[in-house]
Formats: sequence, C-alpha cells, structure tokens
Amino acid sequence: MRPADWAVLLASLVGIVGYGLYKGRGSDTTSKYLLAGRTMPWYAMALSIMATQASAITFISTTGQAYADGMRFVQMYLGLPLAMIIIAAWIAPRFHESGVYTAYEYLERRFDTRVRALVSLIFLIQRGLAVGVALSAPALVLTVIMGWPANVTSLVMGVIVVGYTVAGGIATVTWTDFVQMLIMTAGLLAALICAIWMSPVSLGEAMNVAGAAGRLNPAVWTVDWNNSYNILSGLIGGLFLSLAYFGCDQSQVQRYLTGKSIAQAKLSLLFNAIAKIPMQFTILFTGAMVFVFFTFTQPPVTFDSSAAKRIERSEGYAQAKSEYDAAWQARRSAATRLPEAAAEFKSAQERLDTARARAAGLAGVKAGADTNYIFLSFVTHYMPVGIVGLIMAAIFAAAMSTISAEVNSLATVSVVDVYKRYVRKDREDRHYLRAARWATAFWGAYAVVTAQYAANLGSLIEVVNKVGSLFYGGLIGVFVLAFFVPRATARGALWGVLVGEAAIFYMWLRTDIFYLWFNAIGCLVVVAAGYAVSLSNRKPQPR
Amino acid sequence: MSDEKPPLGSWRRVYAAIILYLILLIALFTAFTARWNQ
Repeated sequence: MRPADWAVLLASLVGIVGYGLYKGRGSDTTSKYLLAGRTMPWYAMALSIMATQASAITFISTTGQAYADGMRFVQMYLGLPLAMIIIAAWIAPRFHESGVYTAYEYLERRFDTRVRALVSLIFLIQRGLAVGVALSAPALVLTVIMGWPANVTSLVMGVIVVGYTVAGGIATVTWTDFVQMLIMTAGLLAALICAIWMSPVSLGEAMNVAGAAGRLNPAVWTVDWNNSYNILSGLIGGLFLSLAYFGCDQSQVQRYLTGKSIAQAKLSLLFNAIAKIPMQFTILFTGAMVFVFFTFTQPPVTFDSSAAKRIERSEGYAQAKSEYDAAWQARRSAATRLPEAAAEFKSAQERLDTARARAAGLAGVKAGADTNYIFLSFVTHYMPVGIVGLIMAAIFAAAMSTISAEVNSLATVSVVDVYKRYVRKDREDRHYLRAARWATAFWGAYAVVTAQYAANLGSLIEVVNKVGSLFYGGLIGVFVLAFFVPRATARGALWGVLVGEAAIFYMWLRTDIFYLWFNAIGCLVVVAAGYAVSLSNRKPQPR
Repeated sequence: MSDEKPPLGSWRRVYAAIILYLILLIALFTAFTARWNQ
C-alpha cells in the first residue's frame, strides 16, 4: 500500500469511529444503550442489517468463489426476500409489541424460563464461536497478501471495534454500520469498474470469456440434494437460513428492535429483501470480471503467496510451470477468438486447471485452496493508487460491522437473559447499564483473545463456521412453535429443540446432506417433535 | 406507532410486489445464464 492508500484507510477508520461516537452520545440508560431508546429510522436499521451480514471474509471470498466456480452462489440468497416478508409480517411486530430486549426474552413469555435459558445458551455458544473467527479470518488473509502480522491486525481491529461499541452501545454500532455499508458499496463499485476497465477487451467480449468458462451461471435449475447451489436449494434452504438468521439470531433481531415504530422496522427488513440479491450479484460479477482480467494477464499458480513459495522450491516445478504457461497461452489465444473458439477455450481451460493442480500438488497444496486470496491479490497488485486504500477500508468496514453487532448482541443476551434473570434481579437501571458495558468489554476481549488462537489454527475456521450453522434449525423451529403453533407447550418446545438438534447433528456426522438443508429439516423435526410432545401434555399452556 | 402509512397503500401490496420482484429476478437470472453461460 502506498501513502495515499494509507491516508484513505486511516481517514475512513477515523471517520467511522468519530461519526459513530457522535451519533451514539448520551446512551445513559439500558434502553438507550441496548435499543437506542427505540428511535432508529428505517434507513439506518436497513444498512445496519446489511452491514452486519456482510463480513470481511464474505466480501473477500465471494469474489474468489465467482472466479473459481461462477456466480451460482447468488442463489443461496433467493429465499431471503421471502424470509423478510415472513419476519416483517409476523415476527417483528410481535417482538416490538411485547417490548422485549432480546428474541429469547419473548420465549419465556410464550413458554417458560427453561426454554429461554436453553435457546439463550445455544445463541451464546454459536455466536461466541463465530466472533473470534470473524475477527481472525480477514487478519489471516491480510497477513498473506500484505505481510501484516495476523495477531497485530486482529488486535488493532478488535480494539477499535470494542472501543466504540463499549462507549456508545447500539446507537454507535448502528450508525457506524450505516457509514461502513456506504464505504463497502463504494469499494465494491470501484472494484467492479476497475476490473472491467483494466481488461483489454470490451464488456461484451469480457462476458463472452466469462460465459465460455462457465462463470456466468446465476441460475441453475438442476436439483442436487447433496451438493451445490441451485434455484430450489436457494429458495427453500435459503428461506430457512434467512428466517433463522434474521428472525431468531439476536445479532440481527437487535438491529430492528431499535426501530422507532413497527412500520420503520418492517421497512428496514423489506429494504434488504430488495437490495441483498443485487448486491450479492454485483460482488459475484466482480469476481467473474477478475477472472476475465486474469485471462489476459497471467495469474500465479496459486494466489496464496506462502504456498507459492513452497511450490517454487519443489522438485519438478520448472516442468510443471512450463506446462502451466503453455496452457495459459493457449487459453488466452482462444479467448481472443470467442465465441467461435469456445470448444478450444474450454479445452485450454481444462489443461490449465490440470497443470495448476499438478504444480500445486508438488508441494502438497490443494488446487483451489487459494479462493480467499484471489480478490485481494488482484486489488493490491493491479489497482490504481487510492482505490486500494478504499477497498481495504471496505474490508475493514465489513469486518468491524459484523464484529460490533456480534459483541453487542452477545453482551445484551448475557445481561438481559442471564445476569438480570438469574444473577442480580431487581437492581437499578444504572447497575445494568454498567453490567452491559462490562459485558461488551468482556465479549470484545474474548473475541480478540480467541482470534489470536484462531490465527494459529487456520484450518479450523471452516469447521467452526460449519459448527455454527448446526444450531439454526433448532432456533427457527422453537420460534415457529412460539409464533405459529398455539397448542405448543413449554415442555414440547424444550423437547422439540433437543430432538431437532440431535437430528441435525446426525445429518452432519452420518450423512452427505448439503448443509443448507440442515436448517429446513432441523426446523421441521423441532416442530414435529415439539407438537407431538405438546399434544401428549394434558394441560396446554395459555398463549 | 404502527399506523404509519406503508408504501403502495398497504403492506400486502408491498409483500406482493416483493414476490413479483423475486420472480422477475429469477427469470432475469435464467435468461442471463442462457444468454451468456456456455
């Protein structure tokens, strides 16, 4: 990064923190600190919801995914608009009308304290596992690309986020999210424009190249139950995933609980129903255009520079590299004669993939394991000065917006659902405000410390992410029982969650079912088991 | 509080518009894939 890039990055960070602290001043009650006094307008909540979901690693790796695999990942978001309609119509109004601070507080009113405790615990485990990874993942990538020490990067990022989150509470988190989302959008559009502009061919020709390589595939109608993204898995699996994440996960629920009215909360959700898919499409299309760029500018054997060094030292590298170079030249030549030379292009692409895998295999490196490094490698090596700083600011913004929401929601559940409920009841508001600040600091420190370990255990990141996704079926199931099954009892809900989670873990450990289906199947098991147990109760509880 | 007027006159119309928008997006994605992806 050159001085101008550093200036853009630092100015963005200072601006984000300063603006957030200014907007969050006066958070001197728990209602203001945890729910911004329920005064937020729809547009602030809308961008906060969007920024919370867009993490740095999503920003970095989604572009790489389109480069390597095409745009089919966008279908994962097809169920999101439907989920937003369901949440806006039925879930958000109930949360607002009941005046709760957390989604899990609602479960005690509907069922009993055991159900609230169990679901709060599930949330704390799931988000607690995720928050350190959310902090360490971008730091790991920046280490390889920029040479920055991972521990220092995650520490700096963590201290900034925890600082403003502790100081201003959710008002600061929401308004910093708002600015962060604007920076992310600017960075994304700048990256897309640069990727198109820097290719030596017209946009139409670039589309021909990306299409010939199978990278322009946002709609796949073939159904595959065990793998891959298609229209059906996107609509159904994506619906349940989005219902769980936006409807039951406190890190999102807390965003729209801050709304000054139910209508404003609904608008913030419905804005995401409209804007999220085009945003993901743009990110993926940027990745496809980066693929076109590297069709005419030779890419390295692997974008992971530490792996590249090992490969270069391997025996047989010279031979593998010469095959790789020849395959790339053949693909480049065919690319200039598309669409007539489509068959030749595909054949050259296959040769290139084989040569790449062979070269990577010399050092025991898995071909395609460098997806997370592609976009940042493109940005830092080829983008104009100033734009690099803007995109780095966008990546920092994406990381910080996710982490601040997670820390903020973990602290809220810790204080409202655990501390206030079981440890210190009936104390004055100032006591709980202090507890909320301490809890925020605790979860922030926890995130920074676990990020240090996660940085040394990079291969565990994928495992931890998958483990996190194992709990959503249980969460959505218990809320379906709460909202839509009048006869559901506390005992039924409790057993439903336990049986549902057992079913999800069984699917994970003993079957090849694609993880997107876990949410839908898990939810159905929770509802079926919960309903059956509820019916066996002699005295249904009143709603 | 909750009686703020929704866009398009009612929430039902907003929800219906979003469903139509989703159908349109899927149709556009399908046409995009058919046109460009070979």
